[in-house]
Amino acid sequence: MKKVVVLFAILTMVLSVFSITITMTAGAVGRELEVLYEQIAVFMEENPDITVNVLPMPNSSTDRHDLYVTYLASGTPDPDVLMLDVIWPAEFAPFLVDLTDDYDYFGLDAFFPGTVASNTVDGSLVAVPWFTDAGILYYRKDLLEKYGYDVPETWDELYTAAKDISAKEGINGFVWQGARYEGLTCDVMEFVHSFGGEIMKDGKVVVDDPEYYDNNLAAITFMNKLIVDGVSPAGVTTYMEEEARRIFQNGDAVFMRNWPYAWSLANAPESPVAGKVGITVLPKGPAPDGRNSATLGGWNLGINVNSSPAEVEASKKLIKFLTSKEQQVYKAVYAGQTPTMIEAYNDPRTIEANDFYPDILDVFLNAEPRPISPIYSEISYEIQVAVHQVLTGQSTPERALDSLARNLKSLVE
Amino acid sequence: MKVKGTYKRSDIWLAFWLIIPTLIAIGITAFYPLGQTIYDSFFKWSLKPGFEREFLGFQNYINLFQNPRFLSSLWNTIYFTFFSVLIEFLLGLGTALILNADFKLRGLVRAAVLIPWAIPTAVSSQMWKWMYNDQYGVISLMLYNLGILEEGTPILGTPGMAMSAIIAVDVWKTTPFVALLLLAGLQIIPNELYEAARIDGASIWKQFTSITLPVLRPTIGVTLIFRTLDALRVFDIVYIMTQGAVATETLAVYNRSLLMDNIFSPRGLFGYGSALSVVIFLIIGIFTLIYMRSLNIKLD
Repeated sequence: MKKVVVLFAILTMVLSVFSITITMTAGAVGRELEVLYEQIAVFMEENPDITVNVLPMPNSSTDRHDLYVTYLASGTPDPDVLMLDVIWPAEFAPFLVDLTDDYDYFGLDAFFPGTVASNTVDGSLVAVPWFTDAGILYYRKDLLEKYGYDVPETWDELYTAAKDISAKEGINGFVWQGARYEGLTCDVMEFVHSFGGEIMKDGKVVVDDPEYYDNNLAAITFMNKLIVDGVSPAGVTTYMEEEARRIFQNGDAVFMRNWPYAWSLANAPESPVAGKVGITVLPKGPAPDGRNSATLGGWNLGINVNSSPAEVEASKKLIKFLTSKEQQVYKAVYAGQTPTMIEAYNDPRTIEANDFYPDILDVFLNAEPRPISPIYSEISYEIQVAVHQVLTGQSTPERALDSLARNLKSLVE
Repeated sequence: MKVKGTYKRSDIWLAFWLIIPTLIAIGITAFYPLGQTIYDSFFKWSLKPGFEREFLGFQNYINLFQNPRFLSSLWNTIYFTFFSVLIEFLLGLGTALILNADFKLRGLVRAAVLIPWAIPTAVSSQMWKWMYNDQYGVISLMLYNLGILEEGTPILGTPGMAMSAIIAVDVWKTTPFVALLLLAGLQIIPNELYEAARIDGASIWKQFTSITLPVLRPTIGVTLIFRTLDALRVFDIVYIMTQGAVATETLAVYNRSLLMDNIFSPRGLFGYGSALSVVIFLIIGIFTLIYMRSLNIKLD
């Protein structure tokens, strides 16, 4: 017996010399953390020499940013694997391991090009897309049918249907994210792009370029009109994702703009609108420049540049595992998080759990990134302030666009 | 009582050694970061790797005072501080006077009054944010029913109203704290003073102005300093309820944005943010001095 114990002790010591522990940050929205623990258990079984510690983070992206800032600025080697918001790679690139040479190792040709592009900074790949997000339109199937409306294809159709139905039903027409925070930038980009406008292009400020100005103005004016005309409640200027979802899920709105996560919640058995909800692409702006547009969201996995070479190798293995098709399908089925790999959408298990995927696959394929810049947060702040001042009646669309153009130019130039 | 200079030499050395850890701790936790912040504020600097420090002198401060965002957050902070401290003080004094009176279940009431103060600010801010919601918020409902608000008005999304709503939450949260401090001050006033005053025929108001207020003055001073300093660096309530939108951004909220959101900015905003930190520090320092002078408070 004694001999066995000694042998075991020696074996563990020898093994621990070759084994390695890495730390990974993770979110805990919905079921995502539980699912991650299950996935990591499988990974550690397959890779007995690697131990993975999970470090859960706050839900808000802004709070996560604050957390990372303190980790990265202090140069600590932990955590090794960083879960990164799609807007961060440019800012955090100096702290991330360059993965350009591992493009094939991660099989990135099979991923949505947009998600890979959003992780490429100055031609270097700094993170691998893990799951994606795109803005989509939720609508009440039952109410559209009741009042004889088709699913809206343009913002004007949405406006008309929302105004009519909301008046007759005594509920809100269209809820979205209008509070002054990152989510507003996402919504603004969708309105602006769908109207054929543009705020930044190739790192240049084009808000007031003659080519885009009229469409930008039309988009912001339309957003404001939604509130002024009562199609959207004045309260949207204080709503984030969850405020909008609660109202829609409670049956108090005809349309909602939100991310895919709201689907399973809206259709949960205890939801008052379960089975009455449809999902589609966000409407087009007015012709001739109008098109469908969805803002690209999502999370990526990068590696801390201060990790040791052995930790980097182990981290790459973990990232490859978590972003593999099999694990993306698992995540889509059990956590409802949208895959970044095209193949994962063709898997019958994915489709069974999320039957709307085939209809909106195009949305994810064509989701448009927010401006890519190392000063993204400053750019986003200016966009939020300019539009929020219009929405809360503190400025006119014209004045807001002028000051936005001026402020962005002083940032960029 | 010993007179200065009569301590034994060994006693003095012992005292010296005993105080050293405290001095070191204060140095590390207070003076070093303060000095570092002041130093950083003279540079264009970012924590982005490879960023070259560039000496700017007072340029960050000059830029700061020309920045409309800084000026409006300075104004918002002063506005918030003035009204929240004023209302809290008056309500707190009233509460303290009531709690100082003799009545049944006084202990229970005293404990109950403290509840808002015991709830973590992050929690109560979120709770109030929901109560202010235009669709399901109970406060909004009450105000609609009273005819004060139009239906569908977002309290936290309306310029002017949002700041008042935030001040209301701060008053709700902090009045108990003010009342508690003032109550402690009231407790030390001997009852004989009032009895003597009553015998001399002094009115309640006369008793209040001639006995209560003068004796309470040091306590009032400490209370006002505590509250003003807290209010000048208000962060959590504002950050949770509005993120600083619709003219509610305070200096601390702006500072977070500079030091956290833009810490790696190639524009070198870390020095700029440090300058703002120093300005906040100076403002708070000046207010403290004014109070201590005008209320004649001594720290020793």
